[in-house]
Amino acid sequence: MHANSLHSDPTHGFTVATHSDATASRTMAHPAASVIGAVKSYGYGGGEVRALDDVDVDFAAGRFTAIMGPSGSGKSTLMHCVAGLDTLSSGRVLIGDTDLGTLDDRQLTQLRRDRIGFIFQAFNLIPTLTTAENIALPSRLAGRKVDPGWFDLVVSTVGLVDRLDHRPSELSGGQQQRVAVARALAARPEIIFADEPTGNLDSHSGAEVLTFMQRAVAEFGQTIVMVTHDPVAAARADRAVFLSDGRIVDDVADPTADGVLARIRTLGGVR
Amino acid sequence: MISLTFKNLLVHRRRTLSTMVAIIAGVAFLAGTLIFTDTLTSTIDGVVADGNADADAVVRAPESTDVGFAQSGAPIPASLLSAVEELPQVAEADVRITGYAQLLDPDNTPVVEQGDAAVVGFNWIDSEALNPFRLVDGSLPAEGEIVIDRGSATRSGYRIGDIATVLTRHDPQAFTISGIADYGTRDSQGGAGAVLFDRTTAEAFLSTPGQVNAIAATAADGVSASELSDALDAQLDGVEVLTGDQFVAEDQGGVDDQVGPFRTFLLVFAAIALLVTAFIINNTYAITVAQRSKEMAMLRALGASRRQVVTSVVIEATVTGALAGVIGIGAGIGVAALLQVLIEQLGVKLPSGPLVIQQASMIAAFVVGLVVVVLSAFLPARGAGRIPPIQALRSIGVENVAVTRRRWVTGAVLASTGASLLFVGLSNRQIGAAGLGALAAFVAVLVLGPIYVRPLGRLLGLPFAASGISGEIATQNAIRNPRRTARTASALMIGVALISFMAVFGASLTTSFGSSLDKNFHGTHVIDSGVEDPDGGFSTQLARDLKSAPGIATSSEFRITSATVNGEPDVDLEAYDAATLDDLIDLGTVDGDLTSLGTDGIAIDRDYASDNDLQLGSEVPVALSTGERETTVRAIYDGSEWLGSQFLDIAAFDQLLPQSLTYRIYVDGTDEAVDAASADLPSAQVLDRAEFFDQVSGIIDQFLGVIYALLALAVLIALLGVGNTLSLAIYERTREIGLLRAVGMTRRQLGAAVRDEAIITALLGTSTGIGLGVLIGWTVVRTLEDRGFDTVTLPVVPLVVIAVTGAVAGGLIATIPARRAARLNVLDALEAV
Repeated sequence: MHANSLHSDPTHGFTVATHSDATASRTMAHPAASVIGAVKSYGYGGGEVRALDDVDVDFAAGRFTAIMGPSGSGKSTLMHCVAGLDTLSSGRVLIGDTDLGTLDDRQLTQLRRDRIGFIFQAFNLIPTLTTAENIALPSRLAGRKVDPGWFDLVVSTVGLVDRLDHRPSELSGGQQQRVAVARALAARPEIIFADEPTGNLDSHSGAEVLTFMQRAVAEFGQTIVMVTHDPVAAARADRAVFLSDGRIVDDVADPTADGVLARIRTLGGVR
Repeated sequence: MISLTFKNLLVHRRRTLSTMVAIIAGVAFLAGTLIFTDTLTSTIDGVVADGNADADAVVRAPESTDVGFAQSGAPIPASLLSAVEELPQVAEADVRITGYAQLLDPDNTPVVEQGDAAVVGFNWIDSEALNPFRLVDGSLPAEGEIVIDRGSATRSGYRIGDIATVLTRHDPQAFTISGIADYGTRDSQGGAGAVLFDRTTAEAFLSTPGQVNAIAATAADGVSASELSDALDAQLDGVEVLTGDQFVAEDQGGVDDQVGPFRTFLLVFAAIALLVTAFIINNTYAITVAQRSKEMAMLRALGASRRQVVTSVVIEATVTGALAGVIGIGAGIGVAALLQVLIEQLGVKLPSGPLVIQQASMIAAFVVGLVVVVLSAFLPARGAGRIPPIQALRSIGVENVAVTRRRWVTGAVLASTGASLLFVGLSNRQIGAAGLGALAAFVAVLVLGPIYVRPLGRLLGLPFAASGISGEIATQNAIRNPRRTARTASALMIGVALISFMAVFGASLTTSFGSSLDKNFHGTHVIDSGVEDPDGGFSTQLARDLKSAPGIATSSEFRITSATVNGEPDVDLEAYDAATLDDLIDLGTVDGDLTSLGTDGIAIDRDYASDNDLQLGSEVPVALSTGERETTVRAIYDGSEWLGSQFLDIAAFDQLLPQSLTYRIYVDGTDEAVDAASADLPSAQVLDRAEFFDQVSGIIDQFLGVIYALLALAVLIALLGVGNTLSLAIYERTREIGLLRAVGMTRRQLGAAVRDEAIITALLGTSTGIGLGVLIGWTVVRTLEDRGFDTVTLPVVPLVVIAVTGAVAGGLIATIPARRAARLNVLDALEAV
């Protein structure tokens, strides 16, 4: 599905004003994010460790991509660098047309706020805020209100309509992750990064969260990049990119759980 | 366990430091107060000791009441000197004559004001052993000449040969300055002004011809001081003989009596500062112990006993407290120096000298600080030790936020007790009940803190929340842990409540005085000496002159001395021109006859009469420094805030205390007449009604200023606590801050949220403090209605200033934690546990 159709497709039963040119200009030919010659190294000289070693990868708009790899393969580092949470030692990261290397801390923060969504493994929510407040947080930080129609749609999609006034401590782990998904979706970012979103959940809740993420891609044309080491989670994605020792070693379209598992075995490290 | 404790201290250096700052401040204030008062005592003691260094014996009149420092008792005949000199045990002897003598500078204003330091005249004593003064320039005083101290000479610019006017009990008199003297090695008696006369002039102007204050003697070779005083005692009748050491000790005891209340006054504020410190430290340990509950549980799971875990915290507190105590004592020296400056800036003149650091005082300050720290740490540590290891390991290291039922009950009981006591005090005019009620209300507010913090915090956070999500997050953060916030805010509340109470009390005192001036004072002018302690003043000649001066309708002189009345010591006994007093000051209904007091009558107020079961005609013994007298109650008047509970007629003072001076004169006359009459007496300030009001309200403001300055430290410590709590909270919320930053909170927004949280916490403290202070102030003032407080005045501007200052200071104190939060690396923060 084309990302642009989200804003014009009358089948959704509502219309939304285009909120950013970047969103409007997304096309299949134009990836949501690109990584070009990315190197991330720690230490100097003989003690240098390369967490990312000359990585080139594009993340297509409107697609659900899984980044797989054993612990220490560099998959989290890659995600952090693409998401503007960390900086590269060399190479470039583009979100849309924006080169992250040209942004200062304030601009990076605004980029994360306005154009990127996050789902972390755990402790995703601000404990003092209610579900509704947590979902609206990025928009509120930008001084905007969430479009009420969109908000309702997102909330009903993840099944949180009757939990809006609850605080995180009153929600189960699965519900908390669903709130995190809703928050990531609510600001309509160009791209959502999910870091082991099901890592802390039982398999049932995990499957539920993954379903919502799939629906976001399928129904809203959302771009999602998910870091995981769970083959079952990866199998839900449209594409799986395999990392090992800071390099991309494989790139599989429409992965299956068994295929992913087999691939990981050859990489030598399922936890 | 112990090595782990030290490791903890080092690893959490920042936390250890911020805890220490609060203790250092508390100990420093305590140590500073002690150093300051020790210095004051020792400076005056030094002056006293210098003055009597070589006198082996002193002969003076027996004292019928406690004669204070710088007060003189009854005179003795000068003729006793020859009887003293006859004794073979005596080497040298001379008379001592002291009395009021005030030097005027070339512009005819006093060189030393009586309100600032003593102004004393002496006779020049030829014996070097008996005279603490040493001539440094010029010659000894002959008749019509004086020697002045070098301090006064420097201040006035007088040189030898100049002619200067001296004020005494008699009319102002001009003298030629024949010499300049040092007091021992100092240029003056600790800032006091001294005028030295020849013996005949001294007797005439300072005492009465033929009368002296004392005779001092040195012992002949081989005679001890006690042998000398025994010999003198055997030789002389009707006098008391003291050895030099006894005399010095007695005078120094008098110094201590004077400095003592001042020390107590300052120690009260040190105690308040320490109370606030205890709150802060207790809070810090409660937070850090909660943060470490997991670590402690781990230790317990690994086999450490509960006692070991608690002990490790207590040892940590002991080390922190000891270290901070040492630094605090060092800082206390600075505080003492600061106190000297502050007190002087506020217009209170005290003799000052090099700082005196006494071991005992420093040990006391150290121990008090240490005990406060260890006790403050022990309670949370014991609480942590009680948590079963498994529960602590499972929890996420946050304090228990639930408000217990017991807290509700205790708070409600205290609040209702306080309210009823305040009400009882208010309706029955019982200040004791009102005071207890105020205390109960105070404790109730402390206990109820965790309960009201949430709703009140939300209310105070409204303006912040309205400005955006940062304000909302700040508000939520401020109230997310009510017990912690309550402790932080309570520390601030204590200081602010006391300041607010004093503000209400002071403002009401000023307005009540104003309305009493309007209602109860019927004169046109007050001629005031500006002296604060009894026995000072100006020549009584002015009051006598006013009686016959043209343009003066009526006047009543007012003198005051310290006396024992009806067995009660240290009463400020007043004397007035009783016959005219009622024309100038409203005494209400007077039973008996004020004109009949004479030299042996006393007037008392109605409450005093009923409290002591006295009627017209009752006998009341009165002991003055110069002797005892039985007086008869000849008049009973309604109480008035203008007078004490009893007074004598001026005639009685003239007879009993011939050396006494005029403290004040109430006058009804024209401006010109009053000015003309007192033109020659620069030490007498002529004030019209408005000026008199300004002077009194100025004194009230000065007093309030001192109290505000002293309470400011408690407020400052509490604000440090706000910063401290915030720093610890930010450490605790690192993960959350990382999340906020990841999803798009800018550094600026984060900084604003931290700052707003501090401001809301500070506002919680200042608003409850102001509320409580005003409530208690209002009740106390209303309770004192029959003692001259007829209006409650809310000083709106000062109260608003307090609230705003508290909020601004809270915001400022948050700068450092806010910056630290904003600088956190997002990824590191996200990965924090």
